[in-house]
Amino acid sequence: MASGREEGVAVNGHPLLEARQVSVRFDGLVAVDAVSAAFAAGELVGIIGPNGAGKTTFFNALSGLQQPTGGELHAMGRRLTGARAHRYAGLGIARTFQTPRIFGGLSVAANIAFGLHFAGRRRAGAWLLKDEHSILNVIGLAELEDLPAAAITPSQQRLLEIGMALATRPRLLLLDEVAAGLTEAEIDSMAQLIRRLRDELDLTVIWIEHAVTTLLKYVERVIVLHQGRKIADGTPAEVVRNAEVIEAYLGDELAQAT
Amino acid sequence: MRVSRSDPWPQRLRERLTGWLLDTRGMGRDLWVLFALTGWALAVPHYGSEFAVSMALSCLMYVALSTSWTLFCGSTRYLSLATSAFFGIGAYAGALTLEQLDWFGVVALGAGCAAAVAVVMGSAVLHLRGTYFAVLTFGMTELIRHAVTYWEKKVTGTVGRVLTAVPERDTVYLTVAGLALAALAVSLVARRTRFGLALQGIGADEQRAMTLGVNTRLVKVLGFALTAAFAGAVGAAMSVRWTYIDPATVFNPFIGFQTVLIALIGGVATLWGPAIAAIVFSLLAETLRLQAPQAYLMALGLLLILCVLFLPGGLASMRWARLRQWRDDLRGWWRERDDKARRAARRARQARYGVGP
Repeated sequence: MASGREEGVAVNGHPLLEARQVSVRFDGLVAVDAVSAAFAAGELVGIIGPNGAGKTTFFNALSGLQQPTGGELHAMGRRLTGARAHRYAGLGIARTFQTPRIFGGLSVAANIAFGLHFAGRRRAGAWLLKDEHSILNVIGLAELEDLPAAAITPSQQRLLEIGMALATRPRLLLLDEVAAGLTEAEIDSMAQLIRRLRDELDLTVIWIEHAVTTLLKYVERVIVLHQGRKIADGTPAEVVRNAEVIEAYLGDELAQAT
Repeated sequence: MRVSRSDPWPQRLRERLTGWLLDTRGMGRDLWVLFALTGWALAVPHYGSEFAVSMALSCLMYVALSTSWTLFCGSTRYLSLATSAFFGIGAYAGALTLEQLDWFGVVALGAGCAAAVAVVMGSAVLHLRGTYFAVLTFGMTELIRHAVTYWEKKVTGTVGRVLTAVPERDTVYLTVAGLALAALAVSLVARRTRFGLALQGIGADEQRAMTLGVNTRLVKVLGFALTAAFAGAVGAAMSVRWTYIDPATVFNPFIGFQTVLIALIGGVATLWGPAIAAIVFSLLAETLRLQAPQAYLMALGLLLILCVLFLPGGLASMRWARLRQWRDDLRGWWRERDDKARRAARRARQARYGVGP
């Protein structure tokens, strides 16, 4: 997809989000081991890795839900280490969860409105999606707006999660396995949606997925985590040729895919 | 919804008054009920007997306590048992300053002290959830009660305090009525603001609310302090009714338990449920206390069990549809029982005569 954008634009000379040697330790278990990565505005980055590689823990650290035990996080040049999750949301870092965490008792529209009332108040004027209706239209749930969120299907709940994240009017969107459990066709339309959001809303997207072959088709850059460490960072074409990656994780699956 | 200058003035006025609220659905009804309740509360001292006024006072006290408890604990699902601590702190703060301050100052001080303690207590325990939070708030209440008892005995060498400069009956009544109505009004409005939405989000999924930009720690401490301020003010106002107070009376854990039970039975997700339950139970308590003090506690316990089993949303979630469903269920069960009996009779007849009917 030719978006015509200049890739890798920095905000005021700083990357949008930068992790420097971030580590997360749980009583001797090192879930994330000194991972450094920078994400520039407008990038669509995938993070892959086998089960237990530390992908979700890394995401929790990037969104403020998990305090890193080592290293630093910077957003647009500001030091964020030690800040709590609502500060991250306020700076425009939004996320979804692996299992949708929606407010089941509220209506679909109210779930979206929630973010607009809190983190989303910040950029109220300068954002393309004005209100909950425009967000519902983008994610394609406009017809369900009055239903209780608990009553919609799991794949619709995944879309709603993305809508809730969009309601915070983010700069950076962290997607945690949004394609898990979807059919091939649904994954494809999900990927289309994500690219569209990135292009039209000037978002940076970091997308974790367990299903590697799916992810490699859609992202421009891939970071590979293995046992908490970053073992590769590059374009999909580079990563699939990386000997360490092949040995650690991809093996035959990738050879078939390319 | 923005209103321009060309719109008719009622619309502009409404926008000016309620534009900052998130949701105004059902607000007119709530305001009318509040208005009616205000009229009733103000009228009681004029026609009621001494007994009626004391009964109304007890009703209003529990309306204030359980409504303000529900405002924070109901929406965030933090089960606080600290109400009696805040009540007692308010009562003591009021009792100690009754001769120095005017009446308004006494009540405000009671509210302020309780809120200050709630901020400290809340910062310490509001990161805990469920049973841990409930047990710790109860433990802290006991700690405060014993600390005050110790202070009475060792430092001032007394057991309790006799309150001399007590205000008139009607002053106390109107203060407590004002607090009850204020608690209802604050809940009515707060439910429709960002603050209320934040509390609701914390109750549903605290981490999710954080990632959507809610400063959960701040909101929780503020909400807890608000609840405590009402309990403290009620404590300060009610203590003068007793003319003699000691830690065992004003820190009585039963005040906290009863507040929680009333709120649970009334329905913690609703505005009017706890208020209605407070009135019902205070009336029940006052009438039963003289004849059968145990019966009241048993009734409270029984109703709690029934509510938890059959009406998890509390009495306020009771609707005609639910009553009708219960009736239909009962009728269905009865009919089935009837059918069974008829079939059994037919089988018996067939066995005896060897022919069908």
